Amino acid sequence: MTAAIREALATGELLDRLWFYSNYHCNLTCSYCFTESSPSTPPQALPPDQIIRLAHQAAELGYSQFGVTGGEPFILPYMVDVLKELAAIGSTVVISNGTLFNGQRLARAVELADHDVAVQISLDAPDPIVNDEFRGRANFDKVATAIPTLTAAGVHVRIATSIEPDRLDLEQHARLCAMHTEWGVDEADHIVRPLIARGRAADEGMGTTITFDEFPAELAVSVDGAYWGPFGPGVTNGVGDTDLLLTRTIEPLRVPAEAMLRVAGGRPAGSELAIVCA
Amino acid sequence: MTLVTAMTSDTAPLLLRDHFANGDPGPLVGVLAQVPELCDVTLPFIGAALGASAVTGRRKEIAIVRTSANLACRFCTDTHTVVGADHGLTGQELRALRGEVDIDAAFTSRAERALIDWVDALSLGVGPVNPLVAVTAKGLLGDHQLVEITVTVGATMMLNRLATGLDLPVSAATLAGLDDLGLGALPPQAPTTRSSRKDLS
Repeated sequence: MTAAIREALATGELLDRLWFYSNYHCNLTCSYCFTESSPSTPPQALPPDQIIRLAHQAAELGYSQFGVTGGEPFILPYMVDVLKELAAIGSTVVISNGTLFNGQRLARAVELADHDVAVQISLDAPDPIVNDEFRGRANFDKVATAIPTLTAAGVHVRIATSIEPDRLDLEQHARLCAMHTEWGVDEADHIVRPLIARGRAADEGMGTTITFDEFPAELAVSVDGAYWGPFGPGVTNGVGDTDLLLTRTIEPLRVPAEAMLRVAGGRPAGSELAIVCA
Repeated sequence: MTLVTAMTSDTAPLLLRDHFANGDPGPLVGVLAQVPELCDVTLPFIGAALGASAVTGRRKEIAIVRTSANLACRFCTDTHTVVGADHGLTGQELRALRGEVDIDAAFTSRAERALIDWVDALSLGVGPVNPLVAVTAKGLLGDHQLVEITVTVGATMMLNRLATGLDLPVSAATLAGLDDLGLGALPPQAPTTRSSRKDLS
């Protein structure tokens, strides 16, 4: 079965990036957060040694990339060290709200410049009022300070913009692109993705409803289990979503990877969610 | 009130979606689905252990109802009383297995009485089966049936603790089936007060 997983990763039947839900707590309370993260959310952190162990198991199975998300990963004091270790195993992207990069945290984050780590920061609009409506007061100003500071230090920064697909404002989008180019972020590193109607977004009547068939076959692990795709380990009304749950077992990683391969085998082909990139 | 959340077709994990494709599969599958990879292997095992095989469905149901009654599992006793009737057990036989009337009056077959003795020894005792019970059962049932029935009793005891411990509700269909048989549902049980470390009463 290990050979079958390796082949599926090599052929693209399974995407070769493994996602880690490092934690669920966050310093922000975004209105569309599908994990319902907030400062009062219990951390539910994956132990750092387990993340590294799983990454080694993933590499043995044929995974070559890692994603780290939360919650806000940089709340965790050990996150930069974890990212460095992950990057030594495979190309790594970490998703951050970008609001904690000051003082000691900024100094530590700058160390990532020498490693194969991209810091993907969320920014939804070029206008503070529009952006901060969803992400909280002063979010825009913090992000607009953090991104050029990180890029100037040589850190690979990507920007992720979440939009309601039917509300794409081209003028706003052009200004956002001009802004990130000025900050040192290439067009190729600007990801525009649809808001997914899960968690708090669904409660607020926001986002696009996506079915399992449309989610790419990416494995994501959290303290609660292994899931189909990085949107799998969501939370609705305080309870962990299970509709994209594969297994509660996350280690050895072979167990959820085998389950994912089984499910992938019974899935209609060619209907994956299209991520719209700028 | 189930003590853990039972999965539904809306929340069913990916590995188990087939089990929920035709509606609610019941609370047992619903709670097992909390651990998809465990449910995935447990359900086929339960099917093999509890379903008809070289041992007839009637004999399997004798073992299941009797074990469940001995372990005071309301969910399994009531559910399999109805299933047992489907396998040809009479109302009198089912009452006897539930402990409501005398076994010897209800069961005339020596082999079935030996089977019930074997089940009682397994589900009520803690040591090896009494040699007197074993000799009779071996003579009337044979080794392979005794092994299979022992697995059936063990699997039933596992389900008994799962269903009773998690307080799974008896389905409306089962209650209707019991009514049709002229049998009453067992009363709800109070939470356990037993603990190895402290008195919870």
